[in-house]
Amino acid sequence: MRNRFVTLTATLLLISRAGIAQTPQAPQTPSAAQPPPLPATGTVDVGGLFTTIDGDEARFERYRDTRDGLFSSFSLNRQGASYLFDANATHVGYRDQRYKASFIGRNVDFNFGWVSLPLNFSYLTRTPFATNGNALTLDDNAQRAVQGPTFAPNDGTAVGVPCAPGAPPAACGNPTQAAQAKANRSIYNTIATPFDLQYRRDTAAFGVTYEATKAIDVDAKFTSVKREGQQPWGASFAFNNAVELPQPIDQRTNDASIGVSWANPTAMFRVGWDGSWFHNQNESLVWDNPIQISDFSNGLLPPLGPYDPSGYSNGNGPAQGREALAPSNLMNVVSATGLYKVPGRTTINGTAQLTDQTQDAQLIPWTINSMINNSPAVIAAFPHLARLPRPTAEAEAKGVNALLNLTSRPVRLVNFTVRYRYNTRDVQTPIFDATEYVRFDAVPEEIEEGFSPQFNTTRHILDANVAFTPAHAGTIRVGYGHEAVARHGRGFSDVGENIFRASYDAYSNRYVSVRASFDAGRRRGEGFVEAESGNDEAEPVVGPGGTQPTLRYYDEADRDRKRGSLLFTVMPQDSVDVYVQFAGGKDEYLPDSSVPVSRPGELFGLHDSTVRSWNVGANFHPTSVVAVGANYGRDKYGSLQLSRNANPPPDPTWTDPSRDWTLDNDDATSNFTVFVDLLRAIRNTDIRFGYDYSDSDNAFVHGGPRIAALASIGQFIPLPNVSNTWHRATADVQYFFTSRAGVGLGYYFEKLDVSDFNTIDTNGPVGFTPATGDPRIDWLGALTMGYGNRPYTGHSVYARVLYRF
Amino acid sequence: MVLRWNLVNGGLALVVLSLQFVLAGGGTPVSAGSGQPPASQTGEYAGEATCLGCHEDKAYKGTAHSLALKERTPAANHGCESCHGPGKAHAESGDPALIKRFTRTGQTPAEGSDTCTSCHNRASHALWDGSQHFQRNVGCMTCHSIHSPKGTPQLVARTQQELCSKCHRNVTNKQYRFNHMPVREGGLVCTSCHNVHGSTNVRLLRAGTTIDESCTSCHADKRGPYLWEHAPVSESCITCHDPHGSNNDRMLVSKLPFLCQRCHVTSRHPPTVYEGYLLQNSSNANKIYGRACTGCHQMVHGSNAPSGKALLR
Repeated sequence: MRNRFVTLTATLLLISRAGIAQTPQAPQTPSAAQPPPLPATGTVDVGGLFTTIDGDEARFERYRDTRDGLFSSFSLNRQGASYLFDANATHVGYRDQRYKASFIGRNVDFNFGWVSLPLNFSYLTRTPFATNGNALTLDDNAQRAVQGPTFAPNDGTAVGVPCAPGAPPAACGNPTQAAQAKANRSIYNTIATPFDLQYRRDTAAFGVTYEATKAIDVDAKFTSVKREGQQPWGASFAFNNAVELPQPIDQRTNDASIGVSWANPTAMFRVGWDGSWFHNQNESLVWDNPIQISDFSNGLLPPLGPYDPSGYSNGNGPAQGREALAPSNLMNVVSATGLYKVPGRTTINGTAQLTDQTQDAQLIPWTINSMINNSPAVIAAFPHLARLPRPTAEAEAKGVNALLNLTSRPVRLVNFTVRYRYNTRDVQTPIFDATEYVRFDAVPEEIEEGFSPQFNTTRHILDANVAFTPAHAGTIRVGYGHEAVARHGRGFSDVGENIFRASYDAYSNRYVSVRASFDAGRRRGEGFVEAESGNDEAEPVVGPGGTQPTLRYYDEADRDRKRGSLLFTVMPQDSVDVYVQFAGGKDEYLPDSSVPVSRPGELFGLHDSTVRSWNVGANFHPTSVVAVGANYGRDKYGSLQLSRNANPPPDPTWTDPSRDWTLDNDDATSNFTVFVDLLRAIRNTDIRFGYDYSDSDNAFVHGGPRIAALASIGQFIPLPNVSNTWHRATADVQYFFTSRAGVGLGYYFEKLDVSDFNTIDTNGPVGFTPATGDPRIDWLGALTMGYGNRPYTGHSVYARVLYRF
Repeated sequence: MVLRWNLVNGGLALVVLSLQFVLAGGGTPVSAGSGQPPASQTGEYAGEATCLGCHEDKAYKGTAHSLALKERTPAANHGCESCHGPGKAHAESGDPALIKRFTRTGQTPAEGSDTCTSCHNRASHALWDGSQHFQRNVGCMTCHSIHSPKGTPQLVARTQQELCSKCHRNVTNKQYRFNHMPVREGGLVCTSCHNVHGSTNVRLLRAGTTIDESCTSCHADKRGPYLWEHAPVSESCITCHDPHGSNNDRMLVSKLPFLCQRCHVTSRHPPTVYEGYLLQNSSNANKIYGRACTGCHQMVHGSNAPSGKALLR
């Protein structure tokens, strides 16, 4: 509150007359006809904010700060003969405060902005981890009680993570074990302390444009973003225990740009440079293992020890884990943009950019596990782990990007455009050899394909359209596009897509407007990369990355796409519009007939996805002081994917179609919005009212022979639908006693009902069991913070005094 | 592949040939805003005072256009007639056909935009011609009002969301989804990510030249490049995320673990059927609830750890 008051005072001083008096004076006017400066105008909006919230308070506040306190916002605008000044401050002193100022002068334009944006995850979260810089530690006594005096399974007297070693059960695979695990609560549940899981992003931006001559501008911009706080993060020890903890965030990104542009009415050219520096104070994270206080050792020699070769699975792992977080990095871009207009209403414009992204962070060691790092026997067995191939990442990606547009209206009836785009991403990072590495800080292993990939991509996109505009009959446009993508390191080496499109726009009739479009795309790949089978004549045993050989990655797979949209608006009067909007499409992912392993019925991955979106609405503004509008929307999404639950070859399950299963995911969402604005419709009074509603029902329906098999042995339970219903109502009434002074009363209401099976409440997954709103941090196989999706109802009231000048 | 390259080369040839065509004065020359002046721009000027004598409600005080000492503004040049063209003949006769009018029926959107882009042709407006909105006959006046704006900057609607929803309601509705960018809270607006006037990027994205470059202009922690990259991440964020809003956590296009299973059809745990029985009776439950796959594969955007091949560290 004190900070808010200080900031408020400072802001009031800034907009005081003394402050105004120091605004730049207009230079001498070149002509006597210049109008006198307009008086300063602005608003002062000061009062109180009062909020009550039931349920998940952080979710209600998500990107806002609604704490009780002094509410204040200000604005100031002044225009002189040679300048225009505008400034405003919003929600002064709060975690979501914003400030903006701009000055447009004779030769210089300047702008400044400050935005604080919180992201509030949860105030219901608890964690047993204590944070010290980038290290998160657990209570030693608790770890000791879980591990016990020896490394034998279930030696400890306390449960660390349900279904993990410690007090029994050490694993869960049936209802009896699971019931025992649910009943024996984690020792960390009793010592976990509540905390607010949130971070804030503060952005300061400065920009200036100097008009050096009538034709030449110099522009510069600097933006600095500070992100600080915590976010939910995974830090796991594999199958035995997954850990969720608050990742400390302390990051800053500085962006700078400068450019020089020259323009006249027929041409423009700009050269510029952009630089971006991202600095992460925490480039690595170290955290304690909730079930081990010391690194496991069985006293044996490789390959049997001293580590447990199954340690990532059975829990006989390290005392700590270490992972690399987002590395500090740098990006530089040099660009040139040009525009040239030639007779015949023809314009050529385009840009070319050279991009260089680099990252050279210090690499963390192979592992933090002392039983591996400090064991000469292990290093002898895995000599590659003696040292890192290089100390830093030396990562670099270069980009060359170009865009060229040609558009022409040689006659009023015809318009054509041709566009060519080129993008290449060339990874320069030296290949990193990790053919010997350490899995989950638990087990050293060898992997033949342990070399870092270089995902290079080159795209050529050509797009050509011709539009015909018969007099007042609308515009018919037909077009063709082709995208050619060459990839390195993916499933297909070459992918091409042909796109045909048509659209019709009627926009000049005063009663009706129509905008309709349809496009169809056909994407096909070549050069499918197959894993070696050892026999060129035989079908490959596995596909790229050890996948099923007929898997298609949906971002590059053969695809047929159809999309369309329609916007139909009727305007019977100037004050009324009624509209219908439709947008929809379907993507079908296909087997590639050129790939020899493609067989009917053996296509895995995403098969298709569809979307249908309808909106109907109307707006009515009978007078300049009354506006009313409403919209109803209905969106439906659907997708079908196919998989096979199998073990790797030569296990016969690998090719057993009875192990196949499908997933239908259907999401239906309804929206409704309505607003009413009565601005001085009632004497001296402004009234604004709004209501927004959203309802979603998300279904996950499994099918296929594998599901039938699981159901027959009582090991399949359908997932409940994930649903949410959200309401928001806002009202704001302002009454002015005089032309300048008034009072305002605002009301904000939000309510969310949500049911999501991945949220674990006291009794278990929500949807299977009733929601309690009380998070559980020790469900099967994991130790979490209790972060999830929970309902809330919140009310905020703003009571304030208004002053306009 | 040869065929595709031929198509691309053919397209480039089309560009060059078209250029030669227009440079040679092909077609019927219709004057551009910068070339030969249109008919309405010939003639004598009446002066702004004359205009305001009849059109008092069309003043433009309080806007950058009115800064008389800024030499590129209308106020520093011919006032109203900087945009509407010389108006003496119109003023004397009252004939609306003798003045350039930016109305729905007066000009095509492209013709109206030509006037604006004769000045607004650099910075964010440089790539207007040929842009997606340009091609669909959206003109400057479709979204902006010089004389009676309702919102900033000079918009015909109160807010950007209200304006953009006139055509893109299916997109703007997504701000009401359970997981969303801070648009409905006022933290971002459409133009935070999009440059509706034409951009160097696809989908009218404001920053960069690829979707990834646009997203990482704010999410620089995801920029890398990493020692170990995740192939779809290095190509396009929207393979997995819907930036306009989603009912799935982290604005994913599908729920975890099912999203990952769209591609990771290998062996053992990736293609396991994750359903209610496991969620309630197995340690494999930890692959369904909470962070699901990213509970272990937390470095899903890329890893810088030497042991990070599977994005685990």
